[in-house]
Amino acid sequence: MTDITGTTGMTGIAAIEKEAMALPPAAVTAGGSLPKAAKPSRIGLYLTLPGQIVSVLVLVVPLLVALYMSFTDWTPTRGSLLAAQLVGIDNYSELLVWDTRFIYAVIRTLCLSVVCLSLEFAFGLGLAVLFLREFRGKSVLFSAFLTPMMILPVVVGYIFWMLFQSNGPVNQMLEFVLGPQHTVEWFRSAPFAVLAVIVTEVWHWTPLFFLILLSGLNSVPENPVRAAVILGASPRQVFWRVVMPMLKPVIIVAFVIRSMEIIKLFDEVFMLTRGGPGSSTETVSLYIYKLAFNDFQLAYGAAAAFLVLLGCLAMIHLLLTPVRDQLLAGGR
Amino acid sequence: MTRPRLELVSLHKEYDNGAVVAVDGIDLAVTAGETIALLGPSGCGKSTTLNMIVGLEQPTSGDIQIDGASIVGVPAGKRNVGLVFQDYAVFTSMTVRQNLAFGLAVRKRPKAEITRAVAEVAELLGMSDRLDARAKDLGGSELQRVAIGRTLVTKPAILLLDEPLSNLEAAARLAMRRELRRLQSEIGLTIIYVTHDQIEALSLADRIAVMHAGRILQVEKTARICERPDHVFVAGFLGSPPMNLVKGAIEPCEGSVVFRHGGLTLPLGAIADFIKPPEGRFTLGIRPEAVRLVPADGAALSGEVLLVESRGADAVLTVEAAGLKLKVVAPAGAHPGEGQATGLAVDPEALVFFGGDTNRRVDLPLAARPN
Repeated sequence: MTDITGTTGMTGIAAIEKEAMALPPAAVTAGGSLPKAAKPSRIGLYLTLPGQIVSVLVLVVPLLVALYMSFTDWTPTRGSLLAAQLVGIDNYSELLVWDTRFIYAVIRTLCLSVVCLSLEFAFGLGLAVLFLREFRGKSVLFSAFLTPMMILPVVVGYIFWMLFQSNGPVNQMLEFVLGPQHTVEWFRSAPFAVLAVIVTEVWHWTPLFFLILLSGLNSVPENPVRAAVILGASPRQVFWRVVMPMLKPVIIVAFVIRSMEIIKLFDEVFMLTRGGPGSSTETVSLYIYKLAFNDFQLAYGAAAAFLVLLGCLAMIHLLLTPVRDQLLAGGR
Repeated sequence: MTRPRLELVSLHKEYDNGAVVAVDGIDLAVTAGETIALLGPSGCGKSTTLNMIVGLEQPTSGDIQIDGASIVGVPAGKRNVGLVFQDYAVFTSMTVRQNLAFGLAVRKRPKAEITRAVAEVAELLGMSDRLDARAKDLGGSELQRVAIGRTLVTKPAILLLDEPLSNLEAAARLAMRRELRRLQSEIGLTIIYVTHDQIEALSLADRIAVMHAGRILQVEKTARICERPDHVFVAGFLGSPPMNLVKGAIEPCEGSVVFRHGGLTLPLGAIADFIKPPEGRFTLGIRPEAVRLVPADGAALSGEVLLVESRGADAVLTVEAAGLKLKVVAPAGAHPGEGQATGLAVDPEALVFFGGDTNRRVDLPLAARPN
């Protein structure tokens, strides 16, 4: 997408230069010799030009700079980027073959994603099914359940960091229910730190699944469901055999949106554990951040970021494959 | 008479605590192997009736019996009643085979039985070579077959069809109508067929039940219902074009009775002398097919042809006579053109009267006429 914007932006600039030279004589000598159809499209071009320039400046240029950087050994302490030595694919091969911290971060992020998305999907689906019925206080609860999604990730991270303190509310509750020997040092033990991250993430993003699945459930056509009931299917069979297949595109879209987000998981982890203890909760984003801003290995970090980008593209492509036709078919 | 397979006993359905009455006391007995068409305009309660029979909605009062046993309270999937929806409601994520097998698969029947039943129904519907097609790739009439087949696999005692042909285009509709007729005769199903299209009702049903505003106004053999409608609504709804309806009065006149409306006077013949002659306000129904065109000279009733609508083999003429606009069906080519004068003649036997207040048919005690 950025590529396309970039190219049109450039042809736009080229076209204007051309016209600036061509227009005055044409206007004087041969009045309306320009093809009429060209004019409105030119106007559209002028009007979108500022936007195109901005998008080229803030998207395409940095992307290209970063891509170039990822093939050098540049760091900010060594002066100009253009003076940096080109190292070919050394950064990439280092990352993929030797940098176990990077590889573990990738695996850790993927595992976290699978666990978190599964839990978010299960809770979101459960809530959505419950919300198909009528009950008192439904609209209040609906707003309440959507609230976590609207809070800034940094703030969510901070809230849960407070909650999981050694003398925080979570531990106080554990002490009250199970006794003082059952309190947990959440951020000092790797499994519990991971658990804290999962709890935070699931709390934060279950509402998105809930919202998407609820709207999906509400738009499921009524008659196939009724037909299944008449044919003798139990409520459970109706749900799993008839409703869920019809929800499939919606479910996959929800997973795609959330996958793109959770692969970039940063804020909550940064606030909760900064990747610790050790690197037990270090996500890819966090590792790249540390490479770039703690170690000033910007070129190496850029290479890692590009690898993540490629991985994301491949993953989303794969996820969308089963429903691509259905989503693009439109009318049916 | 055979015992009714399905019986509806003063069936009521109200919504919003009685604010809306969708079905207002229906009594209907359907015998085994019979096809009954529920015919009526949109919103007359046809679909609500079907939903109650199939179990999707509970009646407010009244009873539904299959083979004498009440099925009110039996859950929808256990009534042994099949319903085919107007929009087919085929499971689009499945193949044709999975759709057909669904009813047996959810009941956890043995694989061999399912395979055999699916093959049987696919054969019956001519879909044996399409079993592995995905349902979302099917066309309208194929979807319809799948929807019917999916129901037939469960061997329902009664098959309900809710406007099954109205989503099909004209050619497919005719083919599907023939198909349904063939199915009826091949498997002898008991069918209740809901439609607002009377041609469909006339061509497919043994009997027609005309519904209006939540009530059944008349249940009659298809051959007779157009000629002897019980109710003004039925008279004005059935037939193409429907009956001419004229409000007027019956008055005695020199030993016989006549029907009068403005300038129109129709002699009805002698009334049997031992009966008090009927008097008062009536609505007269004349079938367009019962009006004969005669030469204008010397005709008791004459008028001017306003409009000729050709229908191929015959034509519908609108004739203005005695201040009335009457529809007349005449064979093509043998009728006067627009703007020409014509005489009209009607046999008194073909006239139908409805009480002016009750709107119900009244059979006049006319004396037998010498032939």
